[in-house]
Amino acid sequence: MVDLNPKMLEDIPVTSYSDNSTLLIKTGAWKYVQPSYEDKLPACSHQCPAGNDISKALDLIARGDVAAAARLWRAGNPFPASLGRVCPHPCEDQCNRGQFGGAIAIHMMERFLGDRSLDPEFLPKAKPATGKKVAVIGGGPAGVAAAYNLALAGHAVEVFDDKPAAGGYLRTGIPAYRLPKDVLDRELALVEQTGVQFTLNTRVGRDVSFDELRNRFDAVIVTIGFHGSRPLGVPGEDHENVYNGVHLLERILAGERPELPRRMAVVGGGNTAMDVARSLLRIGVEPIVVYRRSRMEMPAIPTEVDEAIAEGIRFEFLTAPSRVIIENGKVTALECRKMRLGEPDESGRRRPIPVEGSEFPVEVGGVVTAIGETAELDFLPDEARDGWRVAADERFVTPVEGVFAAGDAAFGEGTVTAAVGAGRRVAMVVDAFLGGRELPSVAPPTQASWERPVNIDQTVHVEQLNPAYFTEVPRPEIHELDPQTRSTSFDEVVQGFTEEEAIREARRCMVCGTCNECCNCLFFCPDVAIHKRSGAFGFDIDGDHCKGCGICVEECPRNALSLVEVKS
Amino acid sequence: MRMVIKGNGAVAHAVRLARPQVISAYPITPQTSIIEGIASMVAEGKIDARFIKVESEHSALAGCIAAESAGARTFTATSAQGLALMHEVIHWAAGARLPIVLANVNRAMAPGWSIWTDQTDSLSQRDTGWMQVYCQSAQEVVDSVIQAYKVSERVLLPTMVILDAFFLSHTYEDVEVPEPGLVDGFLPPLDLPQKMDLEHPAALGNLVFPDRYMEFRRKMDLAHQVALGVWDEVGREWGELTGRPYGLVEQYRMDDAELVLVTAATTASTARVVIDALRDEGVAAGLLRLRVFRPFPADLIRTILADRKKVVILDRNCSFGHHGIFHQEIKSALYELPAGQQPEMHGVIAGLGGRDVTVEDLRGMLMGVWEGRITKPVTWWNVLEAKGAETGAVAMG
Repeated sequence: MVDLNPKMLEDIPVTSYSDNSTLLIKTGAWKYVQPSYEDKLPACSHQCPAGNDISKALDLIARGDVAAAARLWRAGNPFPASLGRVCPHPCEDQCNRGQFGGAIAIHMMERFLGDRSLDPEFLPKAKPATGKKVAVIGGGPAGVAAAYNLALAGHAVEVFDDKPAAGGYLRTGIPAYRLPKDVLDRELALVEQTGVQFTLNTRVGRDVSFDELRNRFDAVIVTIGFHGSRPLGVPGEDHENVYNGVHLLERILAGERPELPRRMAVVGGGNTAMDVARSLLRIGVEPIVVYRRSRMEMPAIPTEVDEAIAEGIRFEFLTAPSRVIIENGKVTALECRKMRLGEPDESGRRRPIPVEGSEFPVEVGGVVTAIGETAELDFLPDEARDGWRVAADERFVTPVEGVFAAGDAAFGEGTVTAAVGAGRRVAMVVDAFLGGRELPSVAPPTQASWERPVNIDQTVHVEQLNPAYFTEVPRPEIHELDPQTRSTSFDEVVQGFTEEEAIREARRCMVCGTCNECCNCLFFCPDVAIHKRSGAFGFDIDGDHCKGCGICVEECPRNALSLVEVKS
Repeated sequence: MRMVIKGNGAVAHAVRLARPQVISAYPITPQTSIIEGIASMVAEGKIDARFIKVESEHSALAGCIAAESAGARTFTATSAQGLALMHEVIHWAAGARLPIVLANVNRAMAPGWSIWTDQTDSLSQRDTGWMQVYCQSAQEVVDSVIQAYKVSERVLLPTMVILDAFFLSHTYEDVEVPEPGLVDGFLPPLDLPQKMDLEHPAALGNLVFPDRYMEFRRKMDLAHQVALGVWDEVGREWGELTGRPYGLVEQYRMDDAELVLVTAATTASTARVVIDALRDEGVAAGLLRLRVFRPFPADLIRTILADRKKVVILDRNCSFGHHGIFHQEIKSALYELPAGQQPEMHGVIAGLGGRDVTVEDLRGMLMGVWEGRITKPVTWWNVLEAKGAETGAVAMG
């Protein structure tokens, strides 16, 4: 105890100390900036077309709460199990872990969470009924995502589809070796549980008129996707052995085994081309992929191309068809020209230019076209059409009152993932419309902040992390069926993560931009002004004693803290 | 155990024997091999301590301050710019009365950039409240580091053990390294009275108002007065244990010396050769080697130098605008002598930035003074002369 009234030098301690609390001194009054916990957008979510809250979900898994992660992932996304199989996962290209041992296998994590949340207990609870009714034309990924989110928001939603089953391209365009159909069926069953009504085998414009839908419903969303196929524009393409890739694929995936030539050329470099070629291989046809640019420019998901090459599929790059050669009424070859690459075109890819006199035959008995699709818009009034697409602005609003449009038919993003994201975002707009509120801006990555407040104006890239806290941990191997086994069957090629593998992988996640209670801020605060909340997530900053030094911000490994100016 | 080791190795072995619990250090030439040696010993389990790697010397000493406040025995080592960077916390360590031991390898301050020896770095820390011991051999380094812990922990003041760059830090010598049992008997575990106590939380180093600040400073100064006696006592105790006694200063052929060289550190070894030669030639020369410089043994030095004829004070340092620092200190100590007992004093500044101070140099200084050829109070030894000697233009041009 300090002698407060010393008489001699001996009564004074050897050095100064105070056994009063320094909390009396409110040094926090000095500051002009203060730290603030501000979750920011991680680079992965910034890239996610579907708006998944990746870092938060992975953090929950890493902490052992797989159920909460599964619930979070399915909160606005009706197709995580499907997307976990078919998404091109651009998130992984941007993953900051890429610089520390390899990107997180986010795609596999989504599949893990998707499969886990196939149990109805993970479905979110719908809000009370609003009495509003919404028609969705087209039961593909965009339409179902919109319907799911609107149903959860309390609206009565009816989905119209001309096929006998919903799912759109997920059902008709993606082979079972990538997406087993029972997975899709289970996800659609969950959507039905939210109250969405599916009216199948019903084509708008044929079985029910567009105007009738406008009259019966408070809002109509057009999500019909692509169906028609662009022609090759070469002589001989109307021969019966020249097939539309989308339609042929649809037949094969429905279980048909049409009589086909032994060798066939598949023209195109996108995902449909890959799906067609790999499906043909599985039913005993030898496909040859003909693509006019090089592998670099292929729009297909790179891993799908890798897998096709591993399965032994032959590729003719820098090659474009010039004529279908028909002898005695039969296709004998596809005459092609070699191409070279010129300057980049408006897509940013280098433009292919024919090499004069380079014609050569690719000997095949048939040709499949997979060079891009178009929408079938006959049922819409003229003002709702804009060439090959539905006319809609960035808030999905069409010129027709109460009618919205999203997905490939409106914007042609070309992936199931983008369609799901568009469905989630159009649902936001329509929900506001039905509630009589101002229509929100929903440009990506707006949807990343749906489940929790995130500062979407700041994306955390690797430069914003504190690299002192991360060591290299290698990316795990993804298990696949070997090419010999898989090329003869439609069994799923990629094998999912076990729970143990998923937890291990989640622990590799650096949780960029999101507080994960690592406590570094608390450890480093020289003023002991940061306190762990008891019984709740996160920390409180004691403003009376925080001097705004910023050490916590500097030492936050993941940039989940910001320094903000103190308002006087 | 006899070992052939460098001065830096001597520090490492002495630290091992002192059983510190925390070492917090940052490398700098020519000190680096000290902490490398210690790091290896920690890694090999020869020292049971935490070795904290830090990003600067300031943090190195701050780490020691924190650990020592918690009651742990600590060690750090540095040199020149590193010591200067520590300066703020050097004051703190002393004011908090923490018996930290630091080895400083004397190195000239930049610019011009130098890695070679002089004493300006450590003497710039003269007034911080630390004790300072200047060593002349690797043997003395081993012995002084161990003694420093004992004295520091008795008087609650930190100590710098100082050795010359390269001449001592990197020169191999035959050294007697004591057995651990001997040192354990000599140096009990640290029991810091102001150690942090979780049962009694307190804020250390808090605001002290003018009505009390001077009392803390007075206690520090008194501790230095006490420390003079403790160094003397501990040096004798060490001598009884090992046969190598130490005093506050070392006197060589001083009994009847009329011409005295006062210096510190490794130059003293060279000086003994010169003193012997001068004695052979009939000059009554002697050597007074400064060892414990803070606390400063003024009374002892005054007694020793009273009635000598001439005293040459060799400084490997300079307080610019005045004299060499040892020169100033000796003069102030002798001021109290009656006029009749005052020797004639000459300061020589030599050997800065690692320049050799040879037998010939020392003979030149001593005989120059003895024979009356050197008359100025301060001489810069063996530097280029100025044409327009001692005009401002020389310094500015």
